[in-house]
Amino acid sequence: MEKKIVKNERTGEQYTYVKHPTGLDIFIWKMEDYSSTYALFGTKYGSINTKFKTKDDPDFITVPNGIAHYLEHKLFENEDCDVFSLYAKTGASANAYTSFDKTCYLFSCTDNVYDSLEILLSFVQDPYFTEETVRKEQGIIGQEIRMYDDDANWRVFFNMLQGIYHNHPVKIDIAGTVESIAKINADLLYKCYYTFYNLNNMVLSIAGNVDEDKVLELCDKLLKNNDNPELETAFEPEPDTVCKKEVVQKLEVSMPIFNIGFKAKPDKDGMEMFRAERETNFVLSLIASDTSDFYKQLYDEGLINSSFSSEVFNGDGYFCSIFGGESRDPRLVRDRIVAEIERCKKEGLDRERFELIKKAYYGSLIRDLNDADAIATGMLNFKMMGDISIFDAIEAVADITFEDVQKRLEKQFNTENVTLSIIEPLDSKEGQV
Amino acid sequence: MRAFLNILLQELVKLAITYKREKIGEGIHFTALINKRQKLNNIFINLLTPLSIETVSENAIIPRILSGTSKDYPSVTLLNKKLYSLYGASLRGSVTKMGDSQVLVLCAGCINNRYTFDGEKITEELIELLTGCLISPNVSGNGFEEKDFELKKQELLDDIDAEINEKRAYAFKRANQNVYRNEPAAISVNGNKETAGRITAVSAYEQYKRLLATAQIEICYVGEEYSESCRDILADAFSKIKRNYAGDNHSQKSPLKDEICRVSENLDVAQSKMVMAFKTNYEDIVAMKLMNAVFGATPISKLFMNVREKLSLCYYCSSGINAAKGVVYVDSGVERSNVEKAEAEIMNQLNAIKNGDFTNEEMENARRSIVNKWKGIEDNASSIASWYLERIYNGNLNSPAEQIEKLMKVTRDGIISAANSLKPDTVYVLAGKEENK
Repeated sequence: MEKKIVKNERTGEQYTYVKHPTGLDIFIWKMEDYSSTYALFGTKYGSINTKFKTKDDPDFITVPNGIAHYLEHKLFENEDCDVFSLYAKTGASANAYTSFDKTCYLFSCTDNVYDSLEILLSFVQDPYFTEETVRKEQGIIGQEIRMYDDDANWRVFFNMLQGIYHNHPVKIDIAGTVESIAKINADLLYKCYYTFYNLNNMVLSIAGNVDEDKVLELCDKLLKNNDNPELETAFEPEPDTVCKKEVVQKLEVSMPIFNIGFKAKPDKDGMEMFRAERETNFVLSLIASDTSDFYKQLYDEGLINSSFSSEVFNGDGYFCSIFGGESRDPRLVRDRIVAEIERCKKEGLDRERFELIKKAYYGSLIRDLNDADAIATGMLNFKMMGDISIFDAIEAVADITFEDVQKRLEKQFNTENVTLSIIEPLDSKEGQV
Repeated sequence: MRAFLNILLQELVKLAITYKREKIGEGIHFTALINKRQKLNNIFINLLTPLSIETVSENAIIPRILSGTSKDYPSVTLLNKKLYSLYGASLRGSVTKMGDSQVLVLCAGCINNRYTFDGEKITEELIELLTGCLISPNVSGNGFEEKDFELKKQELLDDIDAEINEKRAYAFKRANQNVYRNEPAAISVNGNKETAGRITAVSAYEQYKRLLATAQIEICYVGEEYSESCRDILADAFSKIKRNYAGDNHSQKSPLKDEICRVSENLDVAQSKMVMAFKTNYEDIVAMKLMNAVFGATPISKLFMNVREKLSLCYYCSSGINAAKGVVYVDSGVERSNVEKAEAEIMNQLNAIKNGDFTNEEMENARRSIVNKWKGIEDNASSIASWYLERIYNGNLNSPAEQIEKLMKVTRDGIISAANSLKPDTVYVLAGKEENK
């Protein structure tokens, strides 16, 4: 067992990293004086991983959309009981989530930490589905999909992704569609389970009031040895251009909601991906955060309101920068953003505010160290992104230069590759588009 | 100034957290909630005032204005640049409801001084900034600065319009208008288009001045150590205000309607929503919390296990409590064709509890789940702050640990009588499209 203590001078914080003989990466961050413990057991398997092969498969196979999320639901059911009823005996609050590129099972608790951990490690390693239990889930997941059909903020985002991407599966709803989930059966679930829920592809991350030795003792007892399947995932080739420049849908909303996405080429290497994300965040802050003159102009003109925000959205095979909010004239907002980006490319970004943004960014990373859930999630996310430590992220802020950020603007913002997604109110006049 | 400090000290030995509540003005209290695990310092200034249709929208706009600019930082970019220089400190204004009261909140947070690059005293600077925003707003003539005000007013109107976007919250709001008919609690926290439409920069500023004089002001400071300097900055600022305190805020228990109120509204949505409300005068709120956990507040509750899991009738179906008003409600998302079935099944589950038809295991599971939640409250600044604000409001200053002690003593009979005190009052349905249409 490989074990090391990772320290950070600046904050005086530390955690333990263990590479378990079963292949699992384990992170333990002890938080003295805390009542709660937060544990995450996750696999690098999300909605986008629909095409893959292992050393046992002659060729890549493709599975229906929504299967990672479906699997998450089904793992909560054991042969004889529901997992929630096991947690009920420890008092832990348990949950799970599936994102584009990972599935995580988690609990938070104040008492009976090790009993809860035993439940977590056991049920995730112990799948049980029958055709009947799989069929039953279709109703529940169907309801979940329908609920998101009404959610304007969710729709505006996915409509944008459908505009940006020609082929990449990130454009498909995480839960899939009512049609795609109808194709899911027990065999497919087992196939995906044994491919992705391999400890070599998983991370256990715990923060809170825990004893490291007890955690590792439980891991030795419960983790199952498995052969490394040499998993490979693949995506259809994705052109650089966007698929559609504009996507409009009407829903019961009061004011138009918009997402504007700038498509960029994703990096493959984890550290490069992280650099791109971090530097692009600086670009976004300089251009459009509430400290910029540009923000103030749009705000004073009433073109945007305080719901306006920007973010980087990236992962395996996709990268875009998104501006979103509410506006009476989303097309004008897009035009103004495009013009501002072009201006900043020509005249340069605002060097004066660069140091301010650095301070704020550093502050936000310290802020995240205050919560067990943010720490456990951070350790897991950085590990899955590449071999990055949560402390690298803090230290990297000190290294970033204004020149890096200016270069990133050139690289990441091609104003030809923009998609505007709008959700318009139902009663707005036809023919406005 | 120190003379007015009437110090009330309450050390709670069992807790890692220390609680200290001091009076720093007429109807103004400074509550320090100190614990070692905080890497951040957070401060919450709450202004409590009775909900009234006359003032609701003025009150709703005030925190928006105060958190956006001030006399010293007259533009949103200037204020934000200052916050960025304080290591990305936060400053937010919001408004919420508590029973029959409206609560205006200004809160700010930053990292501990010791994490700064050069040991800067950013906490003190932030509190100066926050009190500046509260006490010295950006004013011109007899009102708030006009342009600023108009933008915030438009935002408020937009937010009122946008309430319909979040279907679950929208259904809940519409339901409340029926549950609390003719009571202050029926008023939406932002008011409505009409009340928001008629506010002016002058009327909002007048109301602001009135609130500073009359509102119950509860300040919570959550940090790693008690800070006298922070308290003094606040006490000093408030000493400059001429107070005309209107008294502490209270709520009335919501009266039961003579007949069950049934309201159904149509909206073009894929999934229907149903909210059911039950009224109670039951005094033992801790027993009611445990009843609520057995009933529908956890993923092992009766509603979740039966209505959602076993019968697949709803995507979500959970229960909650409005303690100040004596209301237990059930909130669910359901296909239109299943609305009646879901209602009947929810009643079945409640009747089961009334008849004592629940196992000891269900009871103990529910108890553990609440203990878990209450113990964790101390780890998070805003949950500690809201815990104490709610306790102060309800006039019972129990710490989480003390409340857990009470919870441990609740018996099966306590749950049964809590359930039996519930009387159906309102069933509200936001009906969506028919299926297969």
